[in-house]
Amino acid sequence: MIAWATAAPAVGAAFVASTVEVVEAFTIVLAVATLRGWRPALSGAAAALGALALIVAALGPALNLVPLRALQIVIGVLLLLFGLGWLRKAVLRAAGLMALHDEDAIFEREKSRLGDEVRSARAADGIAALAAFKAVLLEGLEVVFIVLAVGAGHGLMIPASIGALAAFVAVMAAGLLIHKPLARVPENTLKFLVGIMLSAFGVFWTSEGLGAPWPGGDLALFGLAAAFALAALGLVALVRPRSEAAAA
Amino acid sequence: MSVIREVLEELWSMFVGDRRLTLLVLLLVAVSAAVAAFLPKLHVAAAVLILVGAVAILADSVRLAARKARR
Repeated sequence: MIAWATAAPAVGAAFVASTVEVVEAFTIVLAVATLRGWRPALSGAAAALGALALIVAALGPALNLVPLRALQIVIGVLLLLFGLGWLRKAVLRAAGLMALHDEDAIFEREKSRLGDEVRSARAADGIAALAAFKAVLLEGLEVVFIVLAVGAGHGLMIPASIGALAAFVAVMAAGLLIHKPLARVPENTLKFLVGIMLSAFGVFWTSEGLGAPWPGGDLALFGLAAAFALAALGLVALVRPRSEAAAA
Repeated sequence: MSVIREVLEELWSMFVGDRRLTLLVLLLVAVSAAVAAFLPKLHVAAAVLILVGAVAILADSVRLAARKARR
């Protein structure tokens, strides 16, 4: 039985991070469906989910062959690279130095791009299905990495997978209900949180892998997340342009 | 084939989008590994070093990107 304190960070991190990725994939699939109908959109998305299942089935068992500490170091370093990069963008967006992620704009851009690419009705469905396939495959690979990253280092694959699956169900349910891009999901706030969590997991796994575990075990994750949150908020205040800081 | 290339490019940019950040993280992990290996009694120091180093790398990366964005 996995303790709640151990499983909660994995479930939470996988849920929030996967929500961001699923929202991005959903926007493209919806753009495809709006332009060419649900058939090419769903067939492209289903093909991508099949490809993802094959990748997981092929790579999953291979993870058991890697020694745990080596796995923790590799995943920890990858998480640090991914998490710090994500957190940097989130800080720059929060400080007003980088454009915010706008699902409505992405939706319109994808529709216009697809419209330009489509020359004949016959080719149109194929191009549309390919666009849905690419979007779901790319965002899905990120979800797979996130699940592996938060789950594989400590036997938490099931809680992490539950978090990702819950995100998929929640986004699909919301998306099918409102039938529009999920622009009201506070995606940039979620990305800020995800950057914090992934960076915290990165520090945690790297330390464990190097034989330098944190006092307090898994509970240290909360402290690490708090440290990154404070640092990131401090950086937002530091780099925010002065006129904006004065107005805020 | 272009789909595979795009997927690989995306995966590459996920981890190595910022070369300076990548090199600094690898350097930090190497130094922390040395501390953990040679000073096993001070293993908490290696863990703290990773945290402090990661925050410093984030600050460096944000500072540089902010300067670039203001130009």
